[in-house]
Amino acid sequence: MKTTTNLPRRDFIKLSAISGAFLAVGFVPLGEKESKIVNLSKTATPGNELNPFVFIGTDGKVVLYNHRPEMGQGTFQAIPMIIAEELEVDINDIEIRQSPADEHKYGDQMVVGSRSIRNNFNNMRKMGAAAREMLMQAAAKRFHSDVSECEAKNGYITHVSSGRKISYGVLVRDASELEPSNSPALKDPSQFSVIGKSVPRMDIPLKTNGEAKFGIDHQVEGMLYASVERSPFFAGRVIDYFGEKALQVPGVKYIFKTSRDVWGKKREAVAVLANSYWAAVKGRKALEIMWHNGDLKNWTTEEIWIDYYKASKEEGTTFEEKGDFENIFDKSANKIEAYYETPYQAHAPMEPMNAMVSVTEDKIEFWGSTQNPNGIRSHLAEKFGMHPDKIIINYTFMGGGFGRRSLMDVVDEVADLSAQAGVPVKVIWTREDDIGQGPFRACSLNHLRGSINAEGNAECLDHKIICQDIRNQSGYGKSPSSGITGGVITEYEIPNFRLNGVLRKHHIPITYWRSVYHSTNCFAHESFIDEMAHEAGKDPLDFRLVMLKNHYRYSQVLKLVAEKSDWYKTPDENTGRGVAIVERSGSFVALVAEVKRIEGKIVPYKFTVAIDCGIVINPDTVVAQSEGCVVMGLTAAYKSAITIEEGRVAQTNFDKFKLMELYETPQVNVHIVQSNEAPEGVGEAALPPTAPALTNAIFSLTGKRIRRLPFKLDEV
Amino acid sequence: MNGFVNYNTMGFYKLTVNGQLHSVEADPDTPLLWVLRDNLGLTGTKFSCGIAQCGACTVQINGDPVRSCVMPVSSAINSKIVTIEGLSIANSHPVQKAWIEEQVPQCGYCHSGQIMAAAALLEKNANPSDEEIHNGMRGVLCRCGTYPRVMKAIRKASAKISKS
Repeated sequence: MKTTTNLPRRDFIKLSAISGAFLAVGFVPLGEKESKIVNLSKTATPGNELNPFVFIGTDGKVVLYNHRPEMGQGTFQAIPMIIAEELEVDINDIEIRQSPADEHKYGDQMVVGSRSIRNNFNNMRKMGAAAREMLMQAAAKRFHSDVSECEAKNGYITHVSSGRKISYGVLVRDASELEPSNSPALKDPSQFSVIGKSVPRMDIPLKTNGEAKFGIDHQVEGMLYASVERSPFFAGRVIDYFGEKALQVPGVKYIFKTSRDVWGKKREAVAVLANSYWAAVKGRKALEIMWHNGDLKNWTTEEIWIDYYKASKEEGTTFEEKGDFENIFDKSANKIEAYYETPYQAHAPMEPMNAMVSVTEDKIEFWGSTQNPNGIRSHLAEKFGMHPDKIIINYTFMGGGFGRRSLMDVVDEVADLSAQAGVPVKVIWTREDDIGQGPFRACSLNHLRGSINAEGNAECLDHKIICQDIRNQSGYGKSPSSGITGGVITEYEIPNFRLNGVLRKHHIPITYWRSVYHSTNCFAHESFIDEMAHEAGKDPLDFRLVMLKNHYRYSQVLKLVAEKSDWYKTPDENTGRGVAIVERSGSFVALVAEVKRIEGKIVPYKFTVAIDCGIVINPDTVVAQSEGCVVMGLTAAYKSAITIEEGRVAQTNFDKFKLMELYETPQVNVHIVQSNEAPEGVGEAALPPTAPALTNAIFSLTGKRIRRLPFKLDEV
Repeated sequence: MNGFVNYNTMGFYKLTVNGQLHSVEADPDTPLLWVLRDNLGLTGTKFSCGIAQCGACTVQINGDPVRSCVMPVSSAINSKIVTIEGLSIANSHPVQKAWIEEQVPQCGYCHSGQIMAAAALLEKNANPSDEEIHNGMRGVLCRCGTYPRVMKAIRKASAKISKS
């Protein structure tokens, strides 16, 4: 396996440009999923980076680029795998490089919503195939034969009848003169030899010896470190501050008032800049700040719940409706109703928020871990009125993201500090900053009502979502966030169905969190379906199957999870099982949780995941992501939540915002459906059904229905 | 964050890190973590919580796993400090090998600490029970949820070490 590098090494391309020919292929993005393949081999000029996807040198060395920031989701390996499949090179004999941030040459590079593979699968196949065809044409010319007589494999083109072989390296000069096809012949999926195989990730050896560089690891000459005191009350304003004591701390250079934009709201703060992180932190402790915290001082989560329960009586917006819910529900003899509460959650990636920015008169440079490198460029361009071409974005591996690193607030603040100080400034948030400031996953109340008819089938269901809307905080977007009803299984064949919501505004800043609204809605929806099944006296898995009999993909994952979890084998008296399903980012998941009563305590014991994500690129990554989703889902189910007490977040660090640990991690068994459907997202899909499967399992064992998260496992 | 501030002046400290002797200038209360990262450029050791609650900063001091984010540099003198960079040459430690074979890391940020904690555990007890592994890895957090693989990798490394 070749070594890989964290950041693109620009000198490599330049040296190659001088030393001789090479083949470089890239694309011009056309919208979200389309592109035009282009030959970049002749475009290398000083100051103009090639920024290809495929680079082959005369020595046959193949470099493939991943253009999606890597936060653990595995696209670092998966994107090059797709290219390598069509290019016909040995996936273990290539070098993978992280591409620069360049929306003109890489299109959208924002990693959110598990989009990397599903939006790029066709483009990447086309890329590899177009480059392969260029090499084949060059070879055919040398063989004095037709392209159809040639075959590409493992970095060689073979003339089939004569057995003559030429390596890609030898062909790059000729191939680099050719125009790529924009509709190259793609392989039949049955011929895939890389896609669908568990290929070891090339970024992993960098992450086991300390070599991998994350945003927090970057230093530049002349930089200062910033530690920033922000109001613990969300809208606190700085009335005045005294920095004299802070300035006495050795190493402290400046004290600045600053601010950051969070969804259109300006959040004020005071920053200490010093020549070391520790000096900045010590200086910050010595700051004296007078805050104006307004009436938010008296805020509590309890008040938000009171507001939500009140709002649940409102009519709300109807998102989807069929049949006549009100009429049927009124007349029904067998109706049930329930409220479900899911709390605010912190993202808490292990790498705390950080960013380094250097603002000068004619150039801005960013270094850091981000889910949205091009978003940072546009943000800084607008903030400083500078042409985007003068803004250099250096993005690194991320120590987790989960949605938090798609926001601009961290960069916005540190860029202001760099502009004030006139030197590169790196801000590192403390864990307390991270947990105390959010933005958080929205808390939500779900009100569900439904009824069962005489035959024991669901005859009506009303699902009402009461929550804040990410895109409608302080007048940001105008229409409700897409996906606000995510996690509700609208495919259930229930003749009278209504899906509606009441969107409320509160000052608690919220944002996208792994699987977003799916994580809250699915808990309520799949818990209530379980309640209906119980009311109907039906097996909860069969109850779902009947309502999804015409939905092939849901049925398939349900049947698979039933088989793999021994669902139909009656468990012993100390074991309970629960099921839940979801569709998230195009993937279908059915999940069975198994809990055991061991020495009087409830233990989440085994989680069986069945996932249909269409064509699988790297199966081991699907397994890894599903395992991770279950663990993160369990943290949110019974370990931790963000609560607001007296206007501030009650949790400060991992001592109060507890994460799942090794000792309490259950078995997670992941089973992947073989499919030829288009590939879909896997980074979030198994998270939403984790909590409801668990609480449904607890119900089946104990008869106790859990409708509020997080619950206390030792109190069940 | 108003509170007591120590205005001590800087001092020079001799540290033995990964077999090399370094002299660093720092405030005596500077956590070893920041000296390793900022003074010595050993950025493999990670900051995450700052209060010894997550294990991302775990290094070995005289073979023991220590949370370097709360250990003042002044307490780290006269001891043998090993960081992830010094655990082995080219990922050759059995724990690192097992980590790669089991494809443990996702984002990877916590795994310097995970590996240093696991290596320290197996150094003292080459063949730990599941419960001993659980106890040895207490307080070493992973937000990506790689624990199922951490467990497999520790068992695998243990089997290799026990055999050799």
